[in-house]
This record gives sequence, structure tokens and C-alpha cells, in this order.
Amino acid sequence: MSNDRDNNADASMLRRGVLGLSAAGALGSVAGAGLGLLAPRAAMAQEATPSRLQTVLERGHLIVGTGSTNPPWHFEDETGTLVGMDIDMARLLAKGLFDDPEKVEFVLQGPDARIPSLVTEKVDIVCQFMTVTPGRAQQADFTVPYYREGVGVMMMADGDYKTFDDLKAAGSNLTLSALQNVFIEDWAHKELPEARVDQFESPDAALQALNARRVDGYFGDQSAIRWLMQQAPGRYVDSGRGWLPNSYASAVKQGDPTWLNWVNTVYREAMLGVDFDSFAASYQKWFGITLETPKVGFPSEFA
Amino acid sequence: MLNYNFNWSVIWRNWDKFLDALLLGLGMAVLSLLAGCVIGLAVAYARTSGPKWLQWLAWAYVEIIRNTPLLLLVFMCYFVLPEFGIRFLDKIESFVLTLSLYAGAYMAEVFRAGLASIPRQYVEAAKAIGMRPWQRQRWVVLPVMFRITLPAISNNLISLFKDTSLAAAIAVPELTFTARQVNANTFRVMEAWLTASALYLLASYAIALALRALERRYASIR
Repeated sequence: MSNDRDNNADASMLRRGVLGLSAAGALGSVAGAGLGLLAPRAAMAQEATPSRLQTVLERGHLIVGTGSTNPPWHFEDETGTLVGMDIDMARLLAKGLFDDPEKVEFVLQGPDARIPSLVTEKVDIVCQFMTVTPGRAQQADFTVPYYREGVGVMMMADGDYKTFDDLKAAGSNLTLSALQNVFIEDWAHKELPEARVDQFESPDAALQALNARRVDGYFGDQSAIRWLMQQAPGRYVDSGRGWLPNSYASAVKQGDPTWLNWVNTVYREAMLGVDFDSFAASYQKWFGITLETPKVGFPSEFA
Repeated sequence: MLNYNFNWSVIWRNWDKFLDALLLGLGMAVLSLLAGCVIGLAVAYARTSGPKWLQWLAWAYVEIIRNTPLLLLVFMCYFVLPEFGIRFLDKIESFVLTLSLYAGAYMAEVFRAGLASIPRQYVEAAKAIGMRPWQRQRWVVLPVMFRITLPAISNNLISLFKDTSLAAAIAVPELTFTARQVNANTFRVMEAWLTASALYLLASYAIALALRALERRYASIR
């Protein structure tokens, strides 16, 4: 499981505590906001602030917040170059801005810095496998999602179990390995209620448990499973079932519709329009998924 | 003062898990010590009075095991051996095997020192009254050696008990694993680790006291 999810749970627990306290304060701030709308000076200040789109164009390069330790999203390849799906999305933006995918400055940060770095304007945008949640959407503006993450099970290609039905039929005889995390057992049990889950401290130990056939399957993020299968073709098989969907999107600072809309336009057209080829190439490279060319000749809503 | 609100209810709710974990750790340590004593004794004899090749083999075993971190040995036995088709042991058995081999190397050295420190007169006296070689070992050498080495054996048992914490790395639900599990599930870091520490401390101290009593009873031969 990515740190992302860890963070999620953490954040939502914290939020739960805060909500109760802030409910009383909410009424007061609504009243305050009402008064603010009436004041003409606030409206003028808003107009005077140029969109980040302008700022970035004038600066001549894009500043992107991301990480460097999570393949296939953002990580360093053998040559030490930052690569991954998130990095490709950032380069797509740079290409749209300057016609040069290299004009990006990456700011490496931990998952917990994703929203703070936007709020403090250290970065123009965050491309860091960010799960869209209603709570986070109160603090940052999400773009359209570019991946739907979920969990799944990967088995050895020459192992005893070939399909998800085999796993299900195995009942309590089934042992899965996973990265130690809160709720991980509940997540596995959602689809495989009787499976035993051996939790390891690091993802590589969890994977090695499968390699050594100590366990029947590796339980983890779909993207990680696809990436691992890409790395060792023919060695593993995907059970073919994914659950617990959650969307990955980029995020920008709140209150700048022009910038958000521009990024959304680039992302949408990457998935459905002019940049489809490069987007499809990224999907193929990082997840081994061949995307079908969007149906031509209709408004995208009909495709 | 510590800016932290303790919530021990998490510990009470998981108390049976902590107890099971403690018993599992103690069980693995005792089993490993017993197996380690058998291995250690055999190796100590091999090194002191075996043929040359056996002495060399015993030496190699002791040095390889003693000079490799236990965690690596645990990984090797659990993760690597199955790659060569050896996978008849489950995670607990595989850990006990590793810990036994580890204990064996240390006990071999303890027993070797013990054998070396038996006064020559004892053996000569046994010869003088007509004991056969195995009788000399059975009735003179071994009893004396065990009494001499008893403090070292108890030391080893305490070490082994604490070493069982490494089994957490291969998902064996002993004390460290359980504490980490409770951490992950409840974010109650202080409570979980303080409980695990207290249980380790208490159990180790109890072992020490019990063995001290045993020593007082038997180790008075000198």
C-alpha cells in the first residue's frame, strides 16, 4: 500500500477530532463571510491577483511538487533520472506551456507536504499520486483524475492459484503477504474474508515472501502490481480483481479557476484528445495497459 | 512534561494478543535453547576430540554463524531456502530452526570452554577407579561441565528470548510484531511499545531469577 493511504487514514482520523470542535465556529465564520462579500475592497483584491498561469508563463518553467521513492509514480531510474507516471503528467503540462517537456523544476517532498506546499505557494501544482478525498478537496483544488487506484492480488504464474475464483475457493487455506498498515487486513477481507494476511515491514519483504512461495499471493496497490509484473514479465499473474477504488489526481492551490481549468484542459485532452498518444504511451510504459483509442466522430460524452 | 495523552484501553483490548505473543516468544526461546544445547554439545566434542576434518567443520559452523547477523540468517532460512525448493517449514518452525542453529554456535563455545576448564585430576581419578570412557563423560565430565556453564546458559536464554523479536521481520506474531500491529491499527505508539518493553523486561528478569535459583542449587561444586 502506498504511503498515500497511510496518510489518508491518518488525516481523516485527525479531521474527525477537529470537526466536532469546529462545528460551533462554523456559524460564526459563515456570518463573517457574508459581511466580507459586502465589502468592496475584497472583491477588488481578487481581480488584481493574476492567475498562476500567467506567473508560470512569465517565469519560463513550471514548479511541480512530487516524490522520488514510489515506482511507478515517481522514482529514480538506473541513471538517477526522475521518472514515472506523475512525472509524465508534469512534462505534459510543460509541453503545453512552453512546447518543451523539459521546462519543469521538480520539488521533492514527502506525502504529508502535498497540501502545505500548495498553500504556501512553494509549487505550482502537485503531481504525487494524490488520492482525491472530500476532506482534501476542502484544502486544495483537485484536477480531473488520471488514474483509478485500487487493491488487488498478484500470484506466481506457476503457482497453485491462477484466478480470483481459485483464491476465493481456497478460503482459510489462503495466505497473502502485505505491507504492514492500518486496516490492511480489513481491506483484504472485503473480498477474501477468510484469507490469512502476513504483514511485513517493507514492500520488498512482502514481495519476497511471494517469490519464496511462503504466501500464495501479494496483496497491494493495483499500480504496484502492474509495475512489478512489468518488471518481471511472465513471472507473476494478476488475479484479475481490483477493489477499493480511489482516484489519483493533481492538485493546485484553491481560488485560481483559470489555472485549474488550464490544467484540466491539458489532462482531459491527454486522455481523450490531441495528446492521447503520449498519454497512452505512458500507461503502456508504467502499467503495461494498452489504452483503446477514444472513439472518433462523437462528442466525448457519447464515446 | 510529556505532551501526550495516554490511552491504555488499547492495551487492555489487545491484552490476550500480547500474552499470546509473550508465550510464543518464550516458547521459541526455550525450544531453541534446548536444541542449541544439543547442537552445541555435539559441536564442542567435535572440536575438542573429533578427527581433523570434523574439527574443521565444527570450527567453520561456529565462525560462520557467530559472525553473521541473526536477522540475515532469519531471512536466509525463511526467504532464500524456499527458492531452492526447501520449504517444509512454516514461519515459526523456520525461525526456531534458525535460532537453534544460532544458539548452537554460541553454546558450542560455552561448552568448549566448560570442557577445557574441567580439572584434569577429575578425569584421572575417574580412570583410576576403572571407569570406561563413556562412563567418565556421563558421570564426571558432563555433570561438572553443566554446573560450570550454568551461568552462561542462563545468559544465553535471556539473549535468545530477546532475539525472538527478530521473528517480527517474517511476520511471526511475537511481542514486537504485536506491538507494531497495535501501533499500526491504533496509532497508540507509546502505549504499545511501553507495554512490549515492560513485558520483555519482566519476562527476562523472571528467567534470570529462576536460573539464579538453579545456579545457587547446582553451581556450588567449585
